[in-house]
Amino acid sequence: MLRNLLALRQIGQRTISTASRRHFKNKVPEKQKLFQEDDEIPLYLKGGVADALLYRATMILTVGGKAFGMFEGTAYAIYELAVASFPKKQE
Amino acid sequence: MTHQSHAYHMVKPSPWPLTGALSALLMTSGLAMWFHFHSMTLLMLGLLTNTLTMYQWWRDVTRESTYQGHHTPPVQKGLRYGMILFITSEVFFFAGFFWAFYHSSLAPTPQLGGHWPPTGITPLNPLEVPLLNTSVLLASGVSITWAHHSLMENNRNQMIQALLITILLGLYFTLLQASEYFESPFTISDGIYGSTFFMATGFHGLHVIIGSTFLTICFIRQLMFHFTSKHHFGFEAAAWYWHFVDVVWLFLYISIYWWG
Repeated sequence: MLRNLLALRQIGQRTISTASRRHFKNKVPEKQKLFQEDDEIPLYLKGGVADALLYRATMILTVGGKAFGMFEGTAYAIYELAVASFPKKQE
Repeated sequence: MTHQSHAYHMVKPSPWPLTGALSALLMTSGLAMWFHFHSMTLLMLGLLTNTLTMYQWWRDVTRESTYQGHHTPPVQKGLRYGMILFITSEVFFFAGFFWAFYHSSLAPTPQLGGHWPPTGITPLNPLEVPLLNTSVLLASGVSITWAHHSLMENNRNQMIQALLITILLGLYFTLLQASEYFESPFTISDGIYGSTFFMATGFHGLHVIIGSTFLTICFIRQLMFHFTSKHHFGFEAAAWYWHFVDVVWLFLYISIYWWG
């Protein structure tokens, strides 16, 4: 209840659109309605399909990146060990 | 629907701290791979995932505040404290570089010739581009104040203009400094002079870029009607950060460019 009252207070303070550019309409009230909908969708996915795509991409890149990094790091470590194990003889 | 009986913001669970931490791991190990094994893949991946995390994390903060109304006065107070503490930590960060500079320049060793600037170094003329840079940043401090007052007085178009001027001045500074770096007769590996000069001015330049980015985000948000005349903490935080960047430059100019 308190949260809704506070949200209403913010809407009341919204500046009336004086935009001279045609394409800048005040879409804040619609966004407020969208993000205050009482569904169980978490905030980071509540914006729509783009949210889900971005989330999945970020997760895949970070976790996958970690796996890749560990692999790359381990591969290089073993390579360096191999090089170190066979020292070049000075002629 | 459950409701809270207090004015504080109990943040919902989010995946961005995890992806942020993972991206930090990728960036740091990426740096090691780049330095020692000449591979930039991991570093690039780290930078990309870091950017993705920051974008989504702060997008969610905007959703929580502008769209869901969670930033009540007590919450805003906490955010103000947070920003002030963060800027204070950055002050200490720069203090380290200034310490290093003064340590070496107040008592120049015999190896440097016993004087500062050291033998062989031709310092930049402080009355040329560096002075222009100073005026550019000072002017940007004026324009951002103009933007703030316009915002508080509900003057939308003037706010947009003033903020745009501020951002352009920031960009101008960055371009000028980049050209200075390119034309400089000395490099970072030119002894302690080069090291202290480029570490201090380099990190400052990075902060100008960060500040300009923050201001640009505020510009976009202003275009999208996010700010009201009474509630616009994101903009205030950006303005504080920008003033901080300006002040650091003034110290740099006086210490390194002029006195040094």
